[in-house]
This record gives sequence, C-alpha cells and structure tokens, in this order.
Amino acid sequence: MDTESSLGYNGRVGWRSKSPKGEEERQRFARDAMTHLDHLYRIAYNLAKAPDDAQDLVQETYARALGAYEQFAPGTHLKAWLTRILYNFFVDRHHQGKRWVSVEDSTAQKNEESDPWEKMATENPGPDSHVLRQELSVQITGALGRLPEEFRAPIVLVDMGDFSYVEAAEVLSCPVGTVRSRLFRGRRLLHGYLKEYVGTKEPA
Amino acid sequence: MLCKEVEELVTALSDNELAGPERIVVERHLADCPDCRSLYQQQVALKQVIRRAAAEMKAPLELREKILNDRRVFPPRVVTGPEPRPWASVFTRPALALALLVLVLLPVIYLMRPQSPSLALAAIETHDKITRGEVTVIRGDSPEAIKEILVRSVAGEFAPMGYDLSMMNLKPVAGTVQTFDGRRVLVALYQGDGGSLTCYTLVGTERDAPPRAQAFFDADKNMTFYSYSVGRTNAVLHREGGLICILVSAMPMPDLLALARSKAAPSHS
Repeated sequence: MDTESSLGYNGRVGWRSKSPKGEEERQRFARDAMTHLDHLYRIAYNLAKAPDDAQDLVQETYARALGAYEQFAPGTHLKAWLTRILYNFFVDRHHQGKRWVSVEDSTAQKNEESDPWEKMATENPGPDSHVLRQELSVQITGALGRLPEEFRAPIVLVDMGDFSYVEAAEVLSCPVGTVRSRLFRGRRLLHGYLKEYVGTKEPA
Repeated sequence: MLCKEVEELVTALSDNELAGPERIVVERHLADCPDCRSLYQQQVALKQVIRRAAAEMKAPLELREKILNDRRVFPPRVVTGPEPRPWASVFTRPALALALLVLVLLPVIYLMRPQSPSLALAAIETHDKITRGEVTVIRGDSPEAIKEILVRSVAGEFAPMGYDLSMMNLKPVAGTVQTFDGRRVLVALYQGDGGSLTCYTLVGTERDAPPRAQAFFDADKNMTFYSYSVGRTNAVLHREGGLICILVSAMPMPDLLALARSKAAPSHS
C-alpha cells in the first residue's frame, strides 16, 4: 500500500498542496468526516483515558481538520488523516509535543516479569473458556488504560481502528517494525490483565 | 527456529501482516509447536475481544451535538438572497468574473464605438480644416479634372457626387481623398462668392447619419435627408443607392437642406 498517498500528505515534510475548493466541497468534507466520529472517539477515549479529554480531543480534531481540509487529497484515507490530526493534537497536549515517550526497557521488563504470559502461552483454557460480554467494554478500556501509552497506542489503532501496521506507523510517526514489536509486547501485557475474558480453543 | 524468535512474528500473523518466506516459516513452526499455536490463538482471541468492545463504544450524542454546532466545523451558510443563487459563486472566482465582464462589455463597447457619429462629424471637422487651409487639397483646372482624379484614387469603385451650384456662385475648385472610420471618402471643395461648401461621397448607408440628426423625408423624391450641426457648421446627409453624400457648409441649414433636396440625384452613372 502506498502509505503516503493513503494518508494524503507527502511524507513528513509538508502537506500536499491543493487548489482552493468551494464552500460546497467543504460541507461535503465535513459530512464525510462526521462518519468517522465513533472511530475518533474510541481512539481518543483510549488514548486520553478520560471521557472529557476525549471529547475535547475529538472536537478539536474536527476543527483542525476543517481548517486544513484543502490539504486533504480526495480519494485518500480520510480516517487515517483525521486520526493523525487527533494523535498529533493528543501528543501536543499531553506531552508538550514529545512523541513516543521512550519506554525504559527496565519498565517493560518489570511488567513482563510480573506478567503470567509465559505460563499463559502454554496454558490451554479449554473449550469451556469464553468471552464474558458483560462489562467487556469497561474491562478492555480499563486494561488498556493500565498499559504504557507506547503499547496502548498501536493496539488502539490496529485492533480498535482496523489500521494496518503501515497506517499505524504513519499516524504514530514511527517505523513499522516498532509498531509490530510494541503490539506484541502490549498484547502480552494486555492478555495478562484480561485473561479471564479471553479464551482460546484448540482446534480439533 | 526457537519460540522466542517466532513469537513477534506470530503477532504479525494474527494481524494478517505477514507475507512471503516469513509467513511460511511461522506457519511451519505453528504446525509443530503447540505453545506457539496457543499463543497465536490467544492473539486472535484478544483481537476479537478488543474489536467487539470497540464496536460497542459510540461517541456520546452530546459530543456529536457539540461538533455540529461548532462554527469552525460547520460555519453558518452565507446567503445573499432569499434563496442561494447558483451563479453567485461565479463572482467569487476572479477569472470567471473577469471573463464574464469581458463577455458582457465587448458587445456594449462594439455598439458604443464611435462609428456613425464620428464619420458624420469627421465630415464637419474636415470641412473646417479645409476652409482653414489645414488639409492639402488637389486643385484642378476643371470640375471634370477633379472628378477624374478622385475616381482614380478609389480605383474607379465610385465617383464623387457632383452638383451644379453655379446659381449659388459656387464652383468646384479642388478635391481630396480622406479616410473616415476606415472608409475612403471623396471630398469635393466648392468655393465662390457664397462662401465654401464641401461634398463628401462614400460607400455607406443611412445608419451613418448621427443618431441625433434631424430626419426630413422628401415625399416627392422618396428620400430622407438628415441634418446636423457642429457649432456654426451645418451638414446634410442623404443616401443615393449605395452611396452616402454629405454636404457641409456654414450656410444656413434651411438653405443647405434645400440645396441638397434640389440637387439630390444619382450622379455617378
């Protein structure tokens, strides 16, 4: 997939310039953007971990997107474009622009040590295990909230937002390999938190 | 391959992000390793759980309302009239507006171009210049000689209208060829005791008369004469066939009109 065109901008250097469009096009763009409201809210909610913050993030994302809608290349991935605006705003607000606050290996290691993942990998919960739908959403959000942001963001984008690794890497401004390794480590931690809710069945 | 080396690839496989040789290696390993197979299944199950939870998470109505009412996102529409006019947007585009302006103005400019008035007025202006000696004229020994010179200058296309004005003590003394509004005009100068008169002959129609000229219809001759003046110089224009004749003189308008009416007749036969 051509990630640059899919996100509607030229790498990280600058936005693709577009000729001015009419008010009608702006209206249409706004309506199209509104179809991604639930998605943006989910991402914002799980990034910010607070409903009020999430609402502010999303509203500001729309304002910024409409302020710059002429830079969006029609036919490209609007959802990814909006998500990137949202994520940039989140980083600006919560980390004073510091992107990808580095995860100390020791922190991750510590988490992993206390994590029963190694055992889980060999455990077979059996055919009776199942996903408890009750409170699921709350549990997932709670478990995601316990993850360091560096692990949480790729999971939110890939698992909740249905983004490819490449798209997630573009939104997060990091290499694709980083997305993959942090997904692996993040899910390892998450599985530990959610093991009651996640079961597997060994194929017959 | 060791399980440690494969587990990150197992994650990628569960996301359907593995292709080529890596995929084959991992799939082979999974076939032989129950632990990693379990890991794979857990990854898939976890993804499903998260996805299901995500699907249940909707943006609050309150947020939707806030965005719909955010003027930065949905600014109030600017309507200039009771109903939006589709063509109004034309004027918001400078190039289109300019093109439209040119399209509208071109015919106006064409219609307003100083066409007939300038030609008719040029006759008066030329008369004044000739009488002041500002225009070079060709003197001829006889009316016939002058006529011949003028006819030759328009390659025989048409001849100057000639009048016998001897009863007014005027006789043709000179001629010149002028260009009015791109058209060749034959000018004959009459002089005598009664002053001077110029006669202009050119190809044209009655539309060459100035719009403000007074029209006089001569029922006997079935001709219309147009009289107009600039200052003390008077002019009478009439058409004979495809030619226009303009008589210009300082003599009183009634006299000039009477002269034109009495003498009007095709003369270039």
